[in-house]
Amino acid sequence: MDIAAYISSGIIESYVLGLASEEEVSILNCIRKNNVEVEQAIAEAEKALEGLADIQAMAMPAALKQDIWNRLEAENQIVKDDQPDSLPTEEAISDDAVVQPPMLNDEEEPKRIVPARSYGWAIAASLLFLLSAGVNLFFYQQQQDSKATLAKTTAALDSQQATLAVLQDKWSLVQNPAIKTIPLKGVENKPDLHALVFWDQASKAVYLSLEQMPAVPKGKQYQLWAMVDGKPVSAGVFPLNAKEEMASKMLDVAKAQAFAITLEDEGGKDVPTLTELCVMGSI
Amino acid sequence: MSPLHNLPEETLILLLKKKNQQAFSYLYDNYADALYGVVCRIVASTEHAEEVIQDVFVKIWKHVDLFDAEKGRLYTWMINIARNTALDYRKSKGVVNEMKNQPLSNIVNTKEEQDQSQSEQHTKADFIGFRNILDKLKPECRILIEMAYYEGYTQQEIAEQLDVPLGTVKTRTKAAFLQLKQLLKDYR
Repeated sequence: MDIAAYISSGIIESYVLGLASEEEVSILNCIRKNNVEVEQAIAEAEKALEGLADIQAMAMPAALKQDIWNRLEAENQIVKDDQPDSLPTEEAISDDAVVQPPMLNDEEEPKRIVPARSYGWAIAASLLFLLSAGVNLFFYQQQQDSKATLAKTTAALDSQQATLAVLQDKWSLVQNPAIKTIPLKGVENKPDLHALVFWDQASKAVYLSLEQMPAVPKGKQYQLWAMVDGKPVSAGVFPLNAKEEMASKMLDVAKAQAFAITLEDEGGKDVPTLTELCVMGSI
Repeated sequence: MSPLHNLPEETLILLLKKKNQQAFSYLYDNYADALYGVVCRIVASTEHAEEVIQDVFVKIWKHVDLFDAEKGRLYTWMINIARNTALDYRKSKGVVNEMKNQPLSNIVNTKEEQDQSQSEQHTKADFIGFRNILDKLKPECRILIEMAYYEGYTQQEIAEQLDVPLGTVKTRTKAAFLQLKQLLKDYR
């Protein structure tokens, strides 16, 4: 940049008169930092206006000095000599702040500290924080409780739905007109036992439901027998992994006059152990 | 009449930041008359000027902590506060500038009339000093300083009012300062 041309362009004088545009001012502020001649030219122009102000000075009315001092005191703007330096500039920058480049920026203004009030606010803030923390804890606990309850409920619902599914399965068997339901009743020494055989007359499929039968001892398994013309024929073992209340599909039986269940060793046997007869029912 | 300014600006800034009575006295005794002169030129009524100059001092007092010596001289900074406070005051009081919306031929006369009416409100000695200085400038330069400095016109407004190109306003501004500096040298 040609500094001499810049200086003689009149931009500096425009600036000190307050005529320069925002863009011109920002360019000038940039140049002046790095150029002594420009800085010097600005100072010269400013001194010219200062000289003008000196020459056109007018005597202030004498009373104003005390008036202004009183006003500064009233606005708490005075630092007494025995007080530590502070910046009592509470409402320093008014809305009609000067628009000259050297003027001020509201945001830079140091905020005055008002100890008593701030302390009060600090206490209030602390109390509010504690209250907030307490409430948060309370709600957190409640949420945890709710979660636990929800988990329990879900589990209960699941098991009920499973039960319902089983009942629906059985119900569908009972409802099926082709199915014959044969109740098996406990023998003499086990009168409380009870089981149901669902026999599909069309497909010959057999389903067994252990309604009231004790859990099998380890290594044992219930085995279903069909009495065909006086001779027992195995209809399979009740699966160990099946739930007791489920109706489990057994071997198909084409013809039978009665059904019976014995407790046999795991895997079942070819002929029933009669001493282990639990329930039986004739068709 | 002329302020003493016998303290270097750096010392004055340090003094003002103490915000004590000594600082106030020094500020007032050395700068009040000059700042009051600026305010009077703009507000054009002693009653209003007394109100404005108080605001000017309060602003200088409150804002001196934020004064940045790298961005200009303290005295110029104070003058600008006085100038802008007075211009704002005039705007807020709805003082319509008579010069606006008038043909160019009227402007010089209007300014003369304004000067006359102002002179009647101040002591004669004060005003003669001021008027003599600016009157010695070429008329086109004098008009320019008065419009820009004391009326708050923008560069564009001055170009329109005087019916000259913007570039001419800049060169005349430059010329006005050269003349002013020479006059000040002679005056001293």
